[in-house]
Amino acid sequence: MPEAILSLAGVHTHLGQHHILQGVSLEAARGRATVLLGRNGAGKSTTLRTVMGLTPASAGSVVFDGRAIEKARPYAVARAGVGFVPEDQAVLRGLTVEENFRLAMLQESPEAWAKLDTIFELFADLKKFWRAKAGVLSGGQKQMLAIARAFVGDHKLLLIDEPSKGLAPIVVDHLIASLNQLKQHTTIILVEQNFHLASQVGSDYFILDDGRVVHSGLMKALVDDEGLKQSSA
Amino acid sequence: MDVLNLAHGAFFAWGAYAGFAVLNALNGLGWVETGTLGQGILSVLLALLAALAIGGVLGLFLERVIIQRVYGDHLKQILITMGASMVLAEVIKVLWSPNNQTVLVPLSFTGSYDVMDVVINKFRVVAIVVGLAVYAGVMAVMQKTKLGIIIRAGVENREVVQTLGYNINRIFTGVFMAGAALAAVGGSMWGIFREQITPAMGDENLIFALIVVIIGGMGSVTGSFLGACMVGLAFNYVAYLVPKLALGANILIMVIILLIKPWGLMGREQ
Amino acid sequence: MTGQAPTPVQMERQRQRARRYTRPGFLIQLALLACLVAGPMLMPSFRVMDLVAKIMIFAVAVASFDIILGYTGIISFAHGMFFGLGAYSVALICHYSQPVQYHHLLLAGLLAALISAVVAVVISALSLRVKAIFFAMVTLAVAEFCHILGYQWSSLTKGEDGVSFKLPGVFNADWSGGSLWGTQINGRLLVYYLILVVAVLLFVGLVRFVRSPVGRVLKAIRDNEQRATALGYRVFRYRVLSTVFGSLVSSLCGALFAMWLSYVNPDTVLGTPLMLNILLMVIIGGLGTVYGGILGAAFIKIAETWLPDLQKLALSLWPKVEFMQRLAERWILLFGILYILSVLFFPKGVVGTLRDRAEVRRLRRLGRP
Ligand SMILES: Nc1ncnc2c1ncn2[C@@H]1O[C@H](COP(=O)(O)OP(=O)(O)OP(=O)(O)O)[C@@H](O)[C@H]1O
Ligand SMILES: [Mg+2]
Repeated sequence: MPEAILSLAGVHTHLGQHHILQGVSLEAARGRATVLLGRNGAGKSTTLRTVMGLTPASAGSVVFDGRAIEKARPYAVARAGVGFVPEDQAVLRGLTVEENFRLAMLQESPEAWAKLDTIFELFADLKKFWRAKAGVLSGGQKQMLAIARAFVGDHKLLLIDEPSKGLAPIVVDHLIASLNQLKQHTTIILVEQNFHLASQVGSDYFILDDGRVVHSGLMKALVDDEGLKQSSA
Repeated sequence: MDVLNLAHGAFFAWGAYAGFAVLNALNGLGWVETGTLGQGILSVLLALLAALAIGGVLGLFLERVIIQRVYGDHLKQILITMGASMVLAEVIKVLWSPNNQTVLVPLSFTGSYDVMDVVINKFRVVAIVVGLAVYAGVMAVMQKTKLGIIIRAGVENREVVQTLGYNINRIFTGVFMAGAALAAVGGSMWGIFREQITPAMGDENLIFALIVVIIGGMGSVTGSFLGACMVGLAFNYVAYLVPKLALGANILIMVIILLIKPWGLMGREQ
Repeated sequence: MTGQAPTPVQMERQRQRARRYTRPGFLIQLALLACLVAGPMLMPSFRVMDLVAKIMIFAVAVASFDIILGYTGIISFAHGMFFGLGAYSVALICHYSQPVQYHHLLLAGLLAALISAVVAVVISALSLRVKAIFFAMVTLAVAEFCHILGYQWSSLTKGEDGVSFKLPGVFNADWSGGSLWGTQINGRLLVYYLILVVAVLLFVGLVRFVRSPVGRVLKAIRDNEQRATALGYRVFRYRVLSTVFGSLVSSLCGALFAMWLSYVNPDTVLGTPLMLNILLMVIIGGLGTVYGGILGAAFIKIAETWLPDLQKLALSLWPKVEFMQRLAERWILLFGILYILSVLFFPKGVVGTLRDRAEVRRLRRLGRP
């Protein structure tokens, strides 16, 4: 087992009165793609948000790249090298597509701009709407923008929450290809309901239920195990 | 910034008093009423600088201590900045006095230019130039720079901007300070221009600012600029004809604009 | 429903109805009312009567503000202005009608109601469609305009000097009707009772309003505007209705206030300190409670009567220090700080906090852990 870039141990998260995460422990291996699966409301998004520091953990530890980050504020987590694509197409509607990308580059270096070419190959629509306000994009295009925005940054770890939501099947196939390409130089944690995408991209999986990890293992094993797959969907 | 700050008028008044205090102190050195042109310019610059500083400090304090606790809660923002504005105006009365004060102004700044028989007050020219410069500066920063992008993005969605690696709290504190400092500089210029300041000047000018923003549409600098022009022109014109109705004329304009465009001239529906 | 067994909800309602006259809340109200009625007889001190009359007036004004702020979630900075409109209606009509008669008072009351209703409808129709913030800004601008108008329209309002006037007949301060059980019956006392009657009526009206179906819709709108819209309520109309109702009551309070003082000037009935006072009272009493108005008004008004004594104390302690003297004069500063602190740390106010406690206790009694 390769070394873990992110490890959660006994993480509890409260939102107001509600005890959402009740002791989540999981590890994401460096250079691999880890998939979080589970019912709606199982706590997958909350796990990602807790790592980001958006919903801070009330107990437990989060270690990223050898650093404890459970107390860190979101911007510090981001600066440490964690990229985040939230669930609900969090593009900035008042900004143009171009400005959305500029915002995503902490340093506007030539390399970052160079990455845009590959992004345009993947998502041609974004080039078409380059100077348009992101608010006028369709739902799927916004989703593309939200994902593509994470690609231009220089992240050691990318947290992606349900990227396939609202995308046409053909685009999902593109997405699978690009995520697999991305896997070459970045570690990915993916929350995904689309099992096809999850199985094509993921190497390891964790299944969450009621704020706890109930199952984990290699993706390959899960693909072969029909019964477990049913229960996780 | 999506924060409604009713304490802006108080920053304005504080700037005026800071400038007033500096000019008073410099007059002790003989710089202001009797000084040379250079000393006059320098003392006005120092007064504006003091206003800038006091505005920045007050803005920092208010943002950190009070406003940061109520981000996202418009109701509380309005309630609390209203209280803060009251307290700041009262502190002025304690530190100086509740009564009017006369601002000492360097001789070189009083008087007027005479351009082809049109008499133009000198300080008015300075004020217009500074005003235009500030407008152009704010527009340029907001539209062209990375900082402008971050600020506009932060207004829309703080959380996303944070996850992209920007410390939006600190940036917003800075923006708030800048706004407060600008208001204070405006206040000290107003004081020098009018040669008279009162603790209530903040409230009076806040009303103008509010009318300007309502007419222009919230969140639009250009709209505010348009609004300011309309309000200023109407005020002066009516003040010339029927002095007592000047403010009424502005309220009337506001009512008419709201009838036609409920969101203000440049405001967008949200 | 005839012939059917009552549902559990109906049974609970009936049980509450039966207990209506023995609830502690009701008994407290009764006792309070008795004190207000008997007070002037038992304690013939003008200072106390003055204080109580002002508390009654402000309790209603604050409760009516609570309808707008606490129940509808709108900030109106014009509440003080409406108060002033009512006060000036009475003052100007009584001042300019010679000789002043009873029907002039009635007329003034009607005028106050009419003007404030019209102004409130215009303001809210213009700005309530947009965000709540807009309404706050517009009301602030209009209120400040009225304040300045009070100063500058001196041919009518006598500007800074204010308007003093005489009340008609038995309400006139000079009128005296002998004594009853050792209490002087005079114009002041009768005005006190007039205020008592009107204030109680208005307060009952406010309480009825928030318990009416309209009041429930307002709460629904405050808590979730979208849901209320989706349920088919015309949010805008309800907001206008509540703003107009609250403002109208405020102007009647202003009318009472003017009658009590027989004098008005722009600063006391139109200025920002008045508005700040109302805000402070509503925050201290508790938003969205109506009854909080009584506590808030009592607290602030009592504090105001005691502050001059405190000032004297401060002056005697530091007789030479000019700075301390100025500080002691600025009691608004103290109120302002108190106000900010209570918005930050005590947002539910006294009544709101007490109600929360009672709710927790009730839940516990019901056997929840
Ligand atoms: N702000 C909140 N306050 C209270 N409970 C919340 C809040 N946000 C989420 N929850 C609850 O937390 C639980 C976990 O939510 P989360 O969004 O992490 O689920 P999820 O696994 O991502 O689900 P999905 O597949 O639907 O996206 C849910 O039961 C949800 O109701
Ligand atoms: Mg989710």
